Amino acid sequence: MGSDIPLSWFLLFAAATFAIGIIGVITRKNPIAVLMAIEIMLSAANVNLVAFWRYGPERLDSGPIAGIVLAIMVITVAAAEVAVGIGLVILCYRRWQAADVDRYDSMAG
Amino acid sequence: MPTVGPSTLDFRDFFFVAPEMLLAVWGLVVLLLDLWLARRLDPAARRLWVGRVALAGTGLAFAVALAVGLVPLMARAYPEDAGSWLSKSTLDYLFDTDPSLFSGTLAGDLQVGAFDLLYIVLLGLIVGLSRAWSFTEEWGEFLALLFWATVGMMLLSAAEELITLFVALETMTICLYLATALEKTRRRSAEAGLKYFIYGSVSSALFLFGLSYVYGLTGTTHLSAIRRLLVEAQQSGLTANAAGATAVLLILAGFGFKIAAVPFHQWAPDAYEGAPAPAAAWIATGSKIASLIAFMKVFANALEPWASPDSNVLRPGWIGIVAVVAAVTMTYGNLAALRQRNFKRMLAYSSIAHGGYLLVGVIAVGLAADVSRAAGAVLFYLVVYAFANLGAFAAAAWLARDKESDQIDDLNGLGRKQPLLAICITLLMLSLIGIPPLGGFFGKLYVFMEALDERTASRGSISLVWLVGLALLNSVVSAFYYVRVLRAMFLREPAGKPMAAADRLIALPILLSTAVVVGAGLTPDLLMGVMQAAAAPMLTTPIVVHKLTAPTPVGPPAPKKPTPAFQYSADQMKKMGQMATGGAGPPGGGGPAPKAKAGTKSATPKSKAQAPASKKAENRP
Repeated sequence: MGSDIPLSWFLLFAAATFAIGIIGVITRKNPIAVLMAIEIMLSAANVNLVAFWRYGPERLDSGPIAGIVLAIMVITVAAAEVAVGIGLVILCYRRWQAADVDRYDSMAG
Repeated sequence: MPTVGPSTLDFRDFFFVAPEMLLAVWGLVVLLLDLWLARRLDPAARRLWVGRVALAGTGLAFAVALAVGLVPLMARAYPEDAGSWLSKSTLDYLFDTDPSLFSGTLAGDLQVGAFDLLYIVLLGLIVGLSRAWSFTEEWGEFLALLFWATVGMMLLSAAEELITLFVALETMTICLYLATALEKTRRRSAEAGLKYFIYGSVSSALFLFGLSYVYGLTGTTHLSAIRRLLVEAQQSGLTANAAGATAVLLILAGFGFKIAAVPFHQWAPDAYEGAPAPAAAWIATGSKIASLIAFMKVFANALEPWASPDSNVLRPGWIGIVAVVAAVTMTYGNLAALRQRNFKRMLAYSSIAHGGYLLVGVIAVGLAADVSRAAGAVLFYLVVYAFANLGAFAAAAWLARDKESDQIDDLNGLGRKQPLLAICITLLMLSLIGIPPLGGFFGKLYVFMEALDERTASRGSISLVWLVGLALLNSVVSAFYYVRVLRAMFLREPAGKPMAAADRLIALPILLSTAVVVGAGLTPDLLMGVMQAAAAPMLTTPIVVHKLTAPTPVGPPAPKKPTPAFQYSADQMKKMGQMATGGAGPPGGGGPAPKAKAGTKSATPKSKAQAPASKKAENRP
């Protein structure tokens, strides 16, 4: 396919985005920020999927649009995850009066 | 097999997902009836009433799943009579050659049927357990979430395609996050829910990112097509790349979270301890079974070409990595369980350790010459493990109801107050250790024998002796913490408030689990036969039991229409040939390799009765 931007750029972009997401999940203390970092990781995967779909060979045996379908499914699932995640964060906030994942530590061992 | 060209939707496929649809709709029914009719009742009556509605739903789903399983079997057994009670188009459909549902995204084989029934039975027991005491006020929500999680599990163990697999995985876990957090009176339930959510969704993202690389490398999401393309690519040397290695590691990390393997296990103890006992039981049993089946399907079917050490993508193959993870998982789980005083937390670490043993079984599946036997061993282990754990969580629910605590010390003196149930719990604990006459022993025996068997298999360069030795050592270590429960029940004086008698909601799961565990121990061949027959279609290309080309009762059926589904590599063909000539194969299977392949592939999933017989034939020296 004649395209100006090579596939590897998309892949590098997605990998960098994914790394940013992982670093965010590990370092952030605020549960909402952790939630956002998880969303960044899912978006990185979506970039990969769409790029592979655009540049990949068309295979008849799985239908040519698997990547797009999967990306749409991921967006849907991500929305459901956020809805659930915000609910859980609010529940924890009410119990502790704090938005800090390090303080939610009533269980250990 | 993936369809070629524009896929068409066959509405008759819905027949095979009827149990899933029923459970999904019944979740809504429970939710709405709870809001509409039950809100005026007082909390305890509301709990019992909504619970009864939910139990009716599981009963109905059981009947439907049984019918879905039996109708094809009956039609196949009596093809002449079937015309009188089935319409022509249904008959055509049942004997159709296209083996999978919804253009190859779901399997409808014996494994799916058997495990649907298992999930529904476990769900019924867990719904019953939820009725035993009031740990939340949102009964409609809690039970509906359990139902929808079950739908996710059933689809997850049926998925033959990565998009379906991902969506089913998320359906299951999102419902379980919420069910974990629904014990509103306790702070730690919310904490457990949030921790489970964060770890779980990070793992989903890792899994998805790995999946995107697999899609990029192969251009398809169907498991069997991925396998075929990887085999082809391996011959052209295309798989020696970093993307493949990254994909394997990321997918492994994603599944590792779901089955709580060690570098990714941190959520499990907190989630089990904080969740209400029925939700914890569902995480420990149903979610683990479904994740492991999906794990086997992805790794031992789709990524099988990357399994072995001689693949050139990852030097040790994924088997080497999984072996290290398994070793660390079982050792860490057992050592950490030793210092637990909390019963549910102890069960969490014990379930991590059992995840390690199960990974040994998955390695055996990846290496095995006879995939159905090795996968059957893993499924056997899963069933026995699930029931033993369910019984243990019923005991935890009993503790939570009467003592509002999870400490092992609160079981003190139970042996004198409730001798029958205490003996049942003893049997469950002994089965989890793996004491000989019980089901847990045979689960471990089969899995470890399969792992050891691989030394003689064709890919001899990995020796699993060290892994099995470590697993045996770990089983000994595990005895110490399980025995602590027995010591509390039988050797200590009861202290504090005595536990009230268990009503049938708590007694039934314990008794039934004990019956299954003891039964599996007394007649392991029976369960193993079913599990092998179930495993046979699972890890090959979807060759489906209930849709044979023609009802031929004896002899290897004629090869199906020339199938482009996937090609075996040369050494696999050789292996199949050896297997067929080794005694268990169909008569005349010693011919050229392609013929042997057709024979073994279609003969193994034939019937429940055949599998034990062929196993005996193999065991005979």
